Amino acid sequence: MSNIRFEQIEGKILGFYALIAGLGILVLAALGSVYYMEHHGHFVTGMNNRIVWGMPHVFALFLIAAASGALNVASISSVFNKKLYKPLSRLSGLVALSLLAGGLMVLVLDLGRPDRLIVAMTEYNFKSIFAWNIILYNGFFVVVAVYLWMMFERRMNRFSRKAGLVAFGWRLILTTGTGSIFGFLVAKQAYDAVIMAPMFIIMSFAFGLAFFILILMASYQWTNRPLGDAVVNRLSNLLGVFVAAVMYFVAVYHLGNLYLAENTGVENFILFDGGIYTKLFWYGQIILGELIPMALIYHPATKGNRSTLGLASVLIIIGGLIQLYVIIIGGQAYPMELFPGKEILEGYGGVAQYSTSLPEMSLGVGGVALAIIAVTFLVKLLAFLPESLADDVDDPHHKG
Amino acid sequence: MNRLLVVFLSLLVGSVFAHTNEHANLGEQASSIKTSGKVFHESVSIIRKMHPEFLRHKRDKTLRQGVRTDEYSLKGCVLCHANKNKTNNQYHSVDKKGQFCSDCHEQVGVSLDCFSCHRTIPKEGSL
Amino acid sequence: MSKTLNRRDFIKTTSATTIGVATIANGITLTTFAGTNKTPVTNEKRWGMLIDTNKLSEIDIDGMVSACKKEQGWGSEVHSTGNQKPGWIKKLKVKDKATGKVSNLALMCQHCEEPPCVDVCPTNASMKREDGIVLVDKHLCIGCRYCMMACPYDARSFVHETLSNQKEHMPRGKGTVESCTMCVHKIDKGEVPACVTSVNSDAVIFGDLYDASSKINQTLKTIQSAQIRADLNLNTGVRYSGL
Repeated sequence: MSNIRFEQIEGKILGFYALIAGLGILVLAALGSVYYMEHHGHFVTGMNNRIVWGMPHVFALFLIAAASGALNVASISSVFNKKLYKPLSRLSGLVALSLLAGGLMVLVLDLGRPDRLIVAMTEYNFKSIFAWNIILYNGFFVVVAVYLWMMFERRMNRFSRKAGLVAFGWRLILTTGTGSIFGFLVAKQAYDAVIMAPMFIIMSFAFGLAFFILILMASYQWTNRPLGDAVVNRLSNLLGVFVAAVMYFVAVYHLGNLYLAENTGVENFILFDGGIYTKLFWYGQIILGELIPMALIYHPATKGNRSTLGLASVLIIIGGLIQLYVIIIGGQAYPMELFPGKEILEGYGGVAQYSTSLPEMSLGVGGVALAIIAVTFLVKLLAFLPESLADDVDDPHHKG
Repeated sequence: MNRLLVVFLSLLVGSVFAHTNEHANLGEQASSIKTSGKVFHESVSIIRKMHPEFLRHKRDKTLRQGVRTDEYSLKGCVLCHANKNKTNNQYHSVDKKGQFCSDCHEQVGVSLDCFSCHRTIPKEGSL
Repeated sequence: MSKTLNRRDFIKTTSATTIGVATIANGITLTTFAGTNKTPVTNEKRWGMLIDTNKLSEIDIDGMVSACKKEQGWGSEVHSTGNQKPGWIKKLKVKDKATGKVSNLALMCQHCEEPPCVDVCPTNASMKREDGIVLVDKHLCIGCRYCMMACPYDARSFVHETLSNQKEHMPRGKGTVESCTMCVHKIDKGEVPACVTSVNSDAVIFGDLYDASSKINQTLKTIQSAQIRADLNLNTGVRYSGL
């Protein structure tokens, strides 16, 4: 693939600066929100002692999952040796790092004491999934950065496959860790399920690829570089498969839970009578975020159309956020089973109320904005993008 | 790089000299001990340099092991070094601007985290 | 440089103010407080509580809650609303679905032997003392609230606003997590938790679960008692009877 030429984008056009400025405003708004939340305390948010993790965590875990998923494109090329994906590897690594940075920014800035981040970096409880995740997140930066270096540096190219393999392994463990944050919580009926870990992995595949496709198509469109159908259609097919896989895991998770008498309460809550959570689950996650994108990707009338692929990707991202909202907020809103066989009349119980506050929302959106700024800025700084991804360049065997 | 080093070193030297300043605002009881000629901290420079270590060591022993002795107790620090407002006979918080703890900490530019949780004045009934 | 430094270089003040003042005035270098714990606690003891819901009246429970607020200084938060308010100890009314029997009980940190909050805490801020008391080390707490997600008893609260005028023995601050300490500051002085003292009957018994001569140990041997969510195998220090 020595005939692939990578080149920085020029980024002299007005659009580039407008994009940076627009996203910059979102990031500044997020930082302002953080100052407001930390100065006053979390009483200004919608979070409380029952819903302890709110909208920031929805965004943070979404971005972290998407980050590991975005690395898949590179992994397919280096681990499974698919040549078509090789030119996309650099961008894949970049998107992964940027999304993780955005997610971590949100996660860290929502802490009660973000000023004590140093404590989190120096005091480890190795029984804690969270502590493991801190190591996994930091490690991900290092592993992917080394991987990128191997790809950029000609002398190191021969190691890039091995580095890719390590990165692939690391990202699988990382997402397992993210899913296990919930999977190992015995207290809450909605969470205590080992399937959370593989479900998060497959969710990350879909969310990350959706992000990647959007960024790929936008950057080639806006820089007037050729982007052939072979690459786009392949990614599109893959996205469809991932979304189908997510649906499969969601189905298994809920059916499995329904079977256990102790979990039927929370299952009925999410699936049938949970008000907003039930609506979000069916209309938001299943229909908007999964069925419609699948239809857009596979229906003969829209198949191969880039606009509909873009729309499908956006819907998958929105659906993904909704899915995490249902998992995180819905799972906490349903009361814990403190006394099996008994009804709590007073003092605890009932569905916990939560309404997102503006600063929480702004912090979450700021994380996404930070990720996109990082990508925008770095593709100008370094040669992440191939000059051309036209079919004949990318795939020598392509029969035009 | 060298410039940074100069800045760093001068800050370091500056913070050493900051220790040699007489403390303007010792606090009610601490002042009266001093004027009476009694010695509470045998070496002022040691307590100035080492008090974070003493307090940290003490806090872990107390909180984690339940060892509740009086040495290096933060309550003790607050008790002696708090000032009273002469007009309403109320204590000033030791971390308020111009008071014992914050006075020095501001001068050397070290943030002070004890009092985001700990009581900043002697306990009720000690007025 | 610290070689010359000796603990005796420093006069020990005392937590009892009156004695403290006297000490300083006299320049005496050492005073101790009767009953104050000077050696690390060990696992030879395990502190626990037994709550008899048949004997415990609703008024008793309200008394326990206000005794806790008064002792530890929570409950006067001004900005926190609804579920944001702290609840170290709560009054619960529970009805058996089959028999319709209603029981009232006080729910607080159950001081598990295998506390999920300690397992999940990334920074070791959630911790269990050797004698079984589960605490939050607020020096290390970063406010991630993972322990609150993990606690099966909804026992922990997050401080949602800036506080001042805390109790001297109970530091509390914005952005950290807190919960029942079993009045560890009193236990270390040989006293009994505030909520236990507030109840006039023997509806709440406090003591060392391991000590065969203690009232709690002997009572637990003779009556039927239960742990909340016993299915989780956490082996709680707080037990209930009559549920």
